[in-house]
Formats: sequence, C-alpha cells, structure tokens
Amino acid sequence: MTPSISPNEAAMVESIKRNLATQGKSSDALTFADLYTKFSSKIGPGSVKNKWAVLYLLKTVSEDRINQKNMPSNAPANAFLSSLSRGGLPELGLRNDSNLEGYKDNCKDLRGSVGNLGKMEKGYSDNSKDFRGLVGTLGKMEKGYTDNSKDLRGLMGKLGKMEKGCSDGNVSDDFRSSSNLKDYRGKGYSDGNVSDDLRNLSCGGDVSRVLKGKGEVGKGWSGGVLMVSKDSENLRHMAYKEFVDLWKEENEVSEDVLVRDVLYSCQGIDGKYVKYDKNEDGYVLPDWMKVPRATRNVVRKLCELGWLFRKVKGYISESMNQFPAQDVGTVGQAFCAALQDELSEYYKLLAVLEGQAMNPIPLGSEGECSGNYMSFRRLSVWFAEPIVKMRLMAVLVDNCKSLKGGAMAGAIHMHAQHGDPLVNDFMKRLLRRVCSPLFEMVRRWVLEGELEDIFSEFFIVSQPVKDESLWREGYRLHAAMLPAFISQSLAKQILRTGKSINFLRVCCDDRGWADAATEAAAAVGTTTTRGSLGYGETDALESLVTEAAKRIDKHLLELMHKRYKFKEHCLAIKRYLLLGQGDFVQYLMDIVGPELSEPANTISSFKLATLLESAITSSNAQYDGCDIRARLRVKMMPHKTGDRGWDVFSLEYDAGVPLNTVFTESVMTRYIRVFNFLWKLRRVEHALTGTWKTMKPNCITSHFFSKLPQAVKLQLILTSRKCQVLWDEMNHFVSNLQYYIMFEVLEVSWSNLVKEMELSKDLDDLLAAHEKYLSSILEKSLLGERSQELNKTLFVLFDLILRFRSLADRLYEGINELQSRTAEVKSRGKSNDKSSEPGSWLGEGRKALTQRAGEFFKNMGNDIDVIGKDYTTIFEGFISKLPVQQHIDLKFLMFRLNFTEFYSQLQPIIRGKLF
Amino acid sequence: MPREIITLQVGQCGNQIGMEFWKQLCLEHGISKEGILEDFATQGGDRKDVFFYQADDQHYIPRALLMDLEPRVINGIQNGEYRNLYNHENVFIADHGGGAGNNWASGYHQGKQYEEDLMDMIDREADGSDSLEGFVLCHSIAGGTGSGMGSYLLETLNDRYSKKLVQTYSVFPNQNETSDVVVQPYNSLLTLKRLTLNADCVVVLDNTALNRIAVERLHITTPTFTQTNSLVSTVMSASTTTLRYPGYMNNDLVGLLASLIPTPRCHFLMTGYTPLTVERQANVIRKTTVLDVMRRLLQTKNIMVSSYARTKEASQAKYISILNIIQGEVDPTQVALSRKSPYVQTAHRVSGLMLASHTGIRHLFSKCLTQYDKLRKRQAFLDNYRNHPTFADNDLSEFDESRDVIESLVDEYKACESPDYIKWGMEDPDHALTGEGNASGTIDPKLSL
Repeated sequence: MTPSISPNEAAMVESIKRNLATQGKSSDALTFADLYTKFSSKIGPGSVKNKWAVLYLLKTVSEDRINQKNMPSNAPANAFLSSLSRGGLPELGLRNDSNLEGYKDNCKDLRGSVGNLGKMEKGYSDNSKDFRGLVGTLGKMEKGYTDNSKDLRGLMGKLGKMEKGCSDGNVSDDFRSSSNLKDYRGKGYSDGNVSDDLRNLSCGGDVSRVLKGKGEVGKGWSGGVLMVSKDSENLRHMAYKEFVDLWKEENEVSEDVLVRDVLYSCQGIDGKYVKYDKNEDGYVLPDWMKVPRATRNVVRKLCELGWLFRKVKGYISESMNQFPAQDVGTVGQAFCAALQDELSEYYKLLAVLEGQAMNPIPLGSEGECSGNYMSFRRLSVWFAEPIVKMRLMAVLVDNCKSLKGGAMAGAIHMHAQHGDPLVNDFMKRLLRRVCSPLFEMVRRWVLEGELEDIFSEFFIVSQPVKDESLWREGYRLHAAMLPAFISQSLAKQILRTGKSINFLRVCCDDRGWADAATEAAAAVGTTTTRGSLGYGETDALESLVTEAAKRIDKHLLELMHKRYKFKEHCLAIKRYLLLGQGDFVQYLMDIVGPELSEPANTISSFKLATLLESAITSSNAQYDGCDIRARLRVKMMPHKTGDRGWDVFSLEYDAGVPLNTVFTESVMTRYIRVFNFLWKLRRVEHALTGTWKTMKPNCITSHFFSKLPQAVKLQLILTSRKCQVLWDEMNHFVSNLQYYIMFEVLEVSWSNLVKEMELSKDLDDLLAAHEKYLSSILEKSLLGERSQELNKTLFVLFDLILRFRSLADRLYEGINELQSRTAEVKSRGKSNDKSSEPGSWLGEGRKALTQRAGEFFKNMGNDIDVIGKDYTTIFEGFISKLPVQQHIDLKFLMFRLNFTEFYSQLQPIIRGKLF
Repeated sequence: MPREIITLQVGQCGNQIGMEFWKQLCLEHGISKEGILEDFATQGGDRKDVFFYQADDQHYIPRALLMDLEPRVINGIQNGEYRNLYNHENVFIADHGGGAGNNWASGYHQGKQYEEDLMDMIDREADGSDSLEGFVLCHSIAGGTGSGMGSYLLETLNDRYSKKLVQTYSVFPNQNETSDVVVQPYNSLLTLKRLTLNADCVVVLDNTALNRIAVERLHITTPTFTQTNSLVSTVMSASTTTLRYPGYMNNDLVGLLASLIPTPRCHFLMTGYTPLTVERQANVIRKTTVLDVMRRLLQTKNIMVSSYARTKEASQAKYISILNIIQGEVDPTQVALSRKSPYVQTAHRVSGLMLASHTGIRHLFSKCLTQYDKLRKRQAFLDNYRNHPTFADNDLSEFDESRDVIESLVDEYKACESPDYIKWGMEDPDHALTGEGNASGTIDPKLSL
C-alpha cells in the first residue's frame, strides 16, 4: 500500500497543523509544532529515518478516526487498517514503526492525532536508548516481529507478568541478547510442544519494552500529558485494567470461547459461534457478532485447518464407504489408511490443545481476571505445522480423488518432490503406506507371476488371449498407472519377468521357474513372502527385478533352446521352407512337378501330402527327427480360376506351442511368401537345367558332324545356337540370382541370427533377432514393400524363362524327330538301293524333309527371337531399376549380374547410374 | 532319389586314380575299408547314396566298375586293403589278360569285343539306381585300354544312355618327358575326338602339370604315381562335395555343370586346388583365408593343366566360367561354402577347388595336334593300327576326321576369346544378324563367390 501523495514532509506538517487549527485545537497545534521540531531534529543512528511516513501514518489514523465516527464503515480506511494489522506497510521502511502502529492500532489507543503524536514522540525520545538497541536487534528480530505482531494481542493478556518482568529490570537485559531469543524460538518451533520457558519468554524483550510504552500510553490518554516516570505498581495495574475493560468492551465474546470454538471447528464440528458457512465455504464467525475485524480474520485463518480437515475427512469416509463396492482400489485404501493415521496424530494434538484451553494462565496475583491460556496467537503457533500437513493432505485428496492405483501413487510421488524436509518426510511416510500394495503387486508379479489386480490399479494389464499370442499381446504396460518413481525401463523389465513366468506356466507347462524366482529373491536378500519392499527402496526393487529377470529369462531361454529346440526348428525352417535342404527340394520338385502343372482346382492336397512324405523319406530329410518331419505340411493357398498347381502350392511348418509365439501366423505367412518366391526361382532354375540336359554337349556337338543335308544342318546349328545363347543369358541371370540369394541373403542372415541368438538374454531379444532375420530375408530377396515393382518384373522374367523352356523342348523334340526321320530315309534309301530300284522318291523324301525342316527351324528361330527380344527388354528394365533400390545388398546382386560389365557396356546410357 | 553317379574306371591309370578316389570318399563319409560305416560317423547330412549303395548286410558298396584288359592293377586292388569294398561282380578283366599294348585301336576293338560283358555290368548298375544322373569315366588318354576302350565306352554310353550325363576325368600324358609310349599322340588324338563328341564334361588332368605341381609346390624331386594320383583324387572328391553334401545350390551334377559349360563344345574344364598336400602330410602349414585361397586358385602354378601358350596368347586367354568350391571353417558372411566332411582332419582351415572353363586349354590340344602331325608326317607306327578293324585296309580317315574335330574345337576356343563369339557359327548368309542378336549373347565368366 503506497501512498499516492508525494512524500513531502513539510507539507504534511503544515496540513496537520492546519487541521488542528481548523478544529479549534490551536494549543494542540502548537504542541504539535513543538514536538515536530524535536522529532525532526533527531538525526543519526537510531532515529526515525522516514519521518514523513510517520507523519502520514499518524495523520491518516487520526483522519480515519474522525471518519469512522462520521461514517461507520469506511472501506479504504478499513483496508488500510487491516493491512496494518497484518504488519503491512513494508514499503515505508518503518518496520519498527509499523509494528508499533499495528500494535497501537490493535490496542485501540489512538484517539487523537495530537495525543498520539505526543505519546509517540515522548515514547521515542524517552526510549531513544532502548530504541537504538531495538533498531540494532531489529534486523534479527524482524521475523519475530512480523509473526509476533499477530500475537501481540495474546501478549496483552500476559501483561501483568511482563510488567513484573519489566520491573525487575533484568529481563530487558536478558532479552537484549537476541541470540537467546532466537534459540528459544527455534526450539519452540521445532519441538512443537511449547515449554513453559518459552511460553514465558516467547515474545521477547522488545515486546516488554513496547508494553512499557503502552503503559505510558495508557496513562497518557486522559490529558495528553506525557508521563515519563517509571511506573509504580499501581499505575501499571490501573493501565492494565483499563485496557482489559476496553478490550472487553469491544469484544462481545471473549477470546477463550472463540478459541474453544476454533478448536471445535478444527475437528470439523461447528462451535457455538464459529460455524461452517456454505456460502463462504469455510468456518466463519457470524456477521452479527460484534468482534473486531482482526479477530474475525484470525478466526477465519485458524479455521482453515478445520476446512482442510473437513475435506480430508470427507474424502476418507467417502472412499471407505465406497469400498469395496466402488473401485477405490487397494492403493486408494492404503492412502485412506495413511491419511487416517495422520489424522489421528492430529486428533492427539487437538486433544492436548483442548486440555490446555481449559487452563487459565496462572497469574501471580489471585482473583484477577486473566486471559485464557490458549490464545489465538498460541493457536496459530500450534497450528503452524498441522496446517502445513493438512494442506498437503488436502492437496493430495484433491489431486487424487479421481485417480487410483499406480496413477495415484505417481501423483503423490510428484508432490513428494519437495525441498522442504518437513514436507518431504511427511510425503515419504505417506507414500510408504500408499505404495505398499503396489510393491506387493510388483513382488508377486515378478516372483510368482500372479497378477492380482481386481481394481486394475497395477501398471501391467493382462488381456485374455490365445496361448500363442500370450507373449506378444497377453500383457502390456498401462502407462497411466505407471508411477514416476518406477522408470520406464524398469517397468519393462518387470513386465517381461512376470510375462516370462506366465509364459512358462501357460505355454511351457513348466514349474522350474519357481526355483529361479526363489534363487533370485535369495540373491537379493529379500524373502519371497509379502511385504518386503517399500517406497524409496527403488534400488532394492530394481535389484530384485533384475535378479529375477536374469534368472527367469535364463531359465526360459534354456527351456526354449533345450526342451523346445528353438534353433533346431529355425534350422528346419531354413532347410525346408527356405529350400536349404537341396536334395529334398530337388526330389520334391521332381515328383510334385507333374502334379502341379495341373489346374489348381483338380489337385488333391492329399496326394501332395503323400508326395511330400516320399520326398522326405528319400532325401536326407529322413534323418531328421520325426519331431521335425511331422511338422512339415503341404499348404494349398486359395486359388483363383486358371491357377495352376504351381501358383498355390507351398510348404508349411507347424512350430507348435510354445514356439508359435515366435512363429506366429503372420510370421509363417511371411515365411510362405519367401518360400513361394524361392520355390518359383527354383522351378525356373530346374527348368533351365532341364533344358540344358536336353541340349547337353554330347547331344549337340554330334549334330555338327551328323550327316544331314547341308542346308538343314546349317539351319539346325544356327537355331540351336540361338537357343543356346538365349539359354546362356537366362541361366546367367538365374544362377547368379540364386547365388545372390544363397550368399547374400540366406546364409548371411542366418549367421547373423545365430550370432544374435547366442547373445540374446531374454525371449524378447530372441524374438527381435528372429524378426530381424526374417525381415532381412524378405527385404533382400526383393519381397519388401519398396521393391514391389522389381519383384513384378522378376516374375515376368520367370514366366518368360518358363515359356522359353517349352519352346526349347519343342525345338529339340523336332531335332530328334528329324534325326530319326533322316535315319529312316537313309535306311530306306539303302534298302531301296539294295532293291535296285533307283528311288526317285528318295530324292523327294529328302527334299520334303529339307523343306519341312527348313520351315520348322525358321518358325522356331522366329519364336526364339521373339522371346529373346522380350526377355532382353524386360531384363534391361530390371537391371536399370536395380541401382535405384535403396537396399545396399542389391548392389551385390548388380555386381554379380554385371561382373563382366557386359550390361553396362551394352547400355552406356544407364552406365552412369550403375556405377 | 539320390541322383546316382556310376564311376567307370578304365585301364591302368583309370583304376589307379579311381582307387585313390574311393579311398578319399570312404575317409570323408566315415566308411571303413570293409565298407562298413564307422562308429563315429553318426553326424548325418551327407549323402552316401550318390556314390555308394548299401548291400543287404549294410555294407556300403561303391557304384564303381573296374575295367581293364590286363590284371595287374586290378589284382593289386583286389589284394589291397580295400579289397572288400568293391563288388566283385563289377570287376572286368579281359580273359587273355594281354592288355591293349598301348594301342588305341586294340583297346577300342577289344571294347567292342567285350561289349556285351561291359554293358551287362553297366546296365546292372544303372538298374540298381533310382534316378541315375550319369557316369563318370576315369582314364588316361595316352595308353591303350583307357583311351581305346574308354573311347568305345563313351560312344556306347552316348548311344544307350543319351539322356544321362557323361563326365570324364581324363589324364593327359606328360609331354615334357619322352614317354615309353611312342604312339601317345595317336592315342590322344583319337580319344580327344570322343571326348569332344561324346562326353558332356571333361575334367582335364594334365600329368605334366601334376608333376610340375608335385615338384614345385610340394618339393618332391621325383613324384611317384601314387603321389600324383592322390592329387587327382583330392580334386575328384572336392569337385563332388556339393553333390555329397546337399546345400542350397549345386546339388546335382546337371546343376553344377550347366552353368560351367555354357557352350556345348567347350566342355573341357581345368582344375586348381590349394593348399595341396600329398598323402595327407601337411608339409608347410600356412595361414589360409578365403581371400587367400581364392587368389591362389587363380595362379597358374596351382592349376593342373599346363599352358603351352606363348605369353601373348596367354594374355588373351579368357575364363568362360569359374566355379570355386571353398571348404573349411569360414565365416559364412564372407562366403557361403560347401560343407566339409567332419571325419577328415585337415591341417588347413580353408581349402579351395577351382573348376574353370578356360580358353587357354586350346593350347593343350594344339600341342596334341602338332605332336600328332609330326608322327603322321613320318607315317610312323601306323602299322599297329592297321591291324585293327577301324583302320583296316589302310583306312586312316578316322585319324583325319579326329584331326578335323580337334582343330575345329581349337578354333572354337580361339573364337571364344574374341568379343564376336556370339556370331561364331551363326555366320549364315541367309540369316543376317540383327543388332539385338548381337546383344543377346553372353560369354560371362561366372564367379561363384
């Protein structure tokens, strides 16, 4: 509150003088002037610095008095007063003065400005020595002052005692040592139970001195004459009585009654006067009561505790009532219990206070009316700590009302992050209680795999799923329920550990984990029984979880490898679905091939299964355990009209429980995609080697020297050479693609998988390793998203090669026929020769043959040219698209295909792109 | 359906290298000298049934036919430590036991004479297999029986089993030393004709090179036949590993050869092997890595065919195709390789075999031709041949024909070295070559790495 007027001291003095003069108190005005000159001459240490402010204050006070008489309620003035009573006006730089003012204000002893001023001046001048000391200690006392300013009223009650102390004259000396005072105060606060000593001394010597001033003030009222002598007993007594009378006059209700009311209200009970007001939402004194505003405020302030109590209590009883019908949850319950405990502490305090409230202060002289032992001031000291706690509780209640479980614990944990040791301790105590059900859940989950969470409070939630997806989908973290004091990684570990146990129990039907869990618990030094962990022992929790996770994961992995032979099954899949078992694949291709050329809808999968069986038994696959062999099946994919068996045939590997956690349906679908691709590639390769066999060297070369007519021979050689060249080109592509698949795709991925499998510490690692393996195969064998177009081109090429194969077959059939015909003709010719009939038709036969052969070769040559042209165009497209692919491994394919730089020489345009 | 392969060992040399080959196979598959599976050979994964079949008493019997016109070598085998391995019905020794006298014509003629006996044996073996893949013929081209009877067998097999593959391991004579067989050039030429026309794949084992390797690489001053033969058996067993240990690729002979032989007539393969040891004695153990092995395989000093080419010609020689079979403990991310027998301990971590079709081999044939021409000019030693039906009545057209065939083969190899090879043999005035015909050809060395 800063004055809006400029701090002009002289003007202020003038205005006061004028005021007094206009009111007809010229003598007062003169006195004022005289006093002012004295006041202003006081310069130096210990004097009032901001004299203007003092004047202004006094003036305002006097004006207020006048105004108040005229107008009962003057809001700004009231506000000003109330601010004073709170020890305001810090800007004025008049701490001691403001205290004094507040003090005076409270004492209602400001009757006239002049009188006041006089008293003040007197007090100042008289006590200047004391003042100097006072100002000196002020810095230290500051806090005491501000706090005590509120207590001053209560201290008034102890006036008698103080007076005594003062008369002894020793007390002031004692009190001058502020360090003493501080010690006491500190002790008083920290102990929480105020010792008698403290009660005697609590307000310090300065107060006593001020009170001395008061005594003088009291005397000074009547005539405005200053009495500067040391008070006699009598006078002091009189002053005191006068004051008490005055006090009673102003207060309709005595303080002790109100104190009792406050104590009631602090237990949530309406007192006689202090009642809960719904509109105000707080405990207030009724409006009609005639009490000073300050009292009203103090009551209101003290009753905040009551209001907070009501809130906390309300929450507790509400949730207790709801339990177990509503989902308050165990954590909520624990929270309530913890709150309840805190409240019972609080009850204890109140009971003590109440007891104290009954006792009057024992006074030296009997029969005298004395103040109650418990004053507002005392109360507020007493309440200082409980109110902090209660506030905290109320805040927690507010914040956690809608929360439950881990989320609640997390919310409380967030409030515990507080620098104040008091708050910190309190919260820790609370959290220990609140988190215990949560930690119990963690313990059971980690060591026993039990998820007992009827109120869904835990940060792990389970979903009912099929066994095979238990691992992937059965459990997940509930982020909202994860309290902040459990880190994300720890939570994941907790999740995995319990999941492992459940996986072992459900999918593997294994009991060995229990030993592992006990071992883990023993290693950490906790027991497997309940209640061994608590909030704040995150390290212990972490080490327990880590131990348990380590052991259980190890156990699980051992089980996977030893009992369920994970690696063997991976290898089996590689050998069968990824065609690694060459002899088996070859044999299967041989015997299933003719069947698969039929339309898809006519193929019986039963027959294929039989063929598969025979392929197994006649290849090295027969040496595999029947465990593996039995899992291999034929799968016919849904077919469209016009599909051939080739399009729908695939092999399937049934990994079974629990390995189907790794080899899920979607994983198997991807495997089947790879299989289909490799199977097609293998079929194409098979077709090409088949073609090579029909045109193998000892068949072809003999033609060069056969005894065909020259023209036919030339054509034959030419066509077969065309065929050969095209075959070479196709074979070069296919075999290099195969080499690429084998070296860069399958073997590399496999060796990586094996490496990672050895390194993996838990099932998640294993799953990740396998996932990486499969996706790298998919990606590199052009089955990925990004290479769809390439893949399409590839399949067009494959189809062209298959077309070429049938063409080549036809060509060689033709050639063989031709040869046998020629032989026939020859032999007939010979026989004709023998029958001595010069065969004219022999010539004709030859001629016809030559002509037919010519036509045949011409057609075949054209057909080969057409296919060759198509093939070259598409292949060039394929080659040119390869470098565009992002995948690094396709560079190797490019490198293989273009090893001799044949293709880059062919197309200097795309060469830049290639290298 | 194991895709069986029947081995025919013809003549002295053929039986000797054949014997070494079977020794090696037995070692690798863990089969004892008696043909019984050793106790330790439990690690499966190998296919024994490609080269062996099981008798009723679980004995493993090689699919091998031992043929000779003189009893010496075969008797040696039958009295040796492996005598119980072979099926005694599969042994053929001519009744008179006189041999072929280093005369191709004699061997060829006797082959014809004993055709029924020989084909009986072959048919029996062929019937015993589910899906016969082909035949492997071991012989030398210089002597009488291996070259003559071998040639006859080649012709017959081509006729009778035209759908089956015929691969030969042909030992070429040492041309650095003056041989005791003076008619070597005649025999070689006549056999080469059959190898060109009637075989699908000829693995050339040049005695000159084998000796050179034994001397230079193995530091043996006078290599014995056993020593050189063990080199041959190493190559033979290594080149069949992919068939015996099935993997993702090259599981059958067709697949293996199809890529190696893109042009039908150029089906002569040369081999290289490193690191070489004789009789399984590691003389100097070197550190072997894949890269190291692959680099060494391309060095001429490790190749078992001598090159008679002059430097200029040699620099123009090209690889038509290469297949490297690398075995040993190798990081599969570096190279995927064919598997290795777990029963044989080797001193080297990695070993490699190269099968390559190389145009440089034509110089070997040229050399044969020049040597033949020298003899023929002088009309030397022809009398021995005229005694036999093929050359009866002084009909030496067979020689001329053979010469033509070899010459055209040399020509084709030579053509392979030029970029216009695609056009070669297609030069037909009626069919003008179009641009894309030119583009569609390939002479791609295929590197199996």
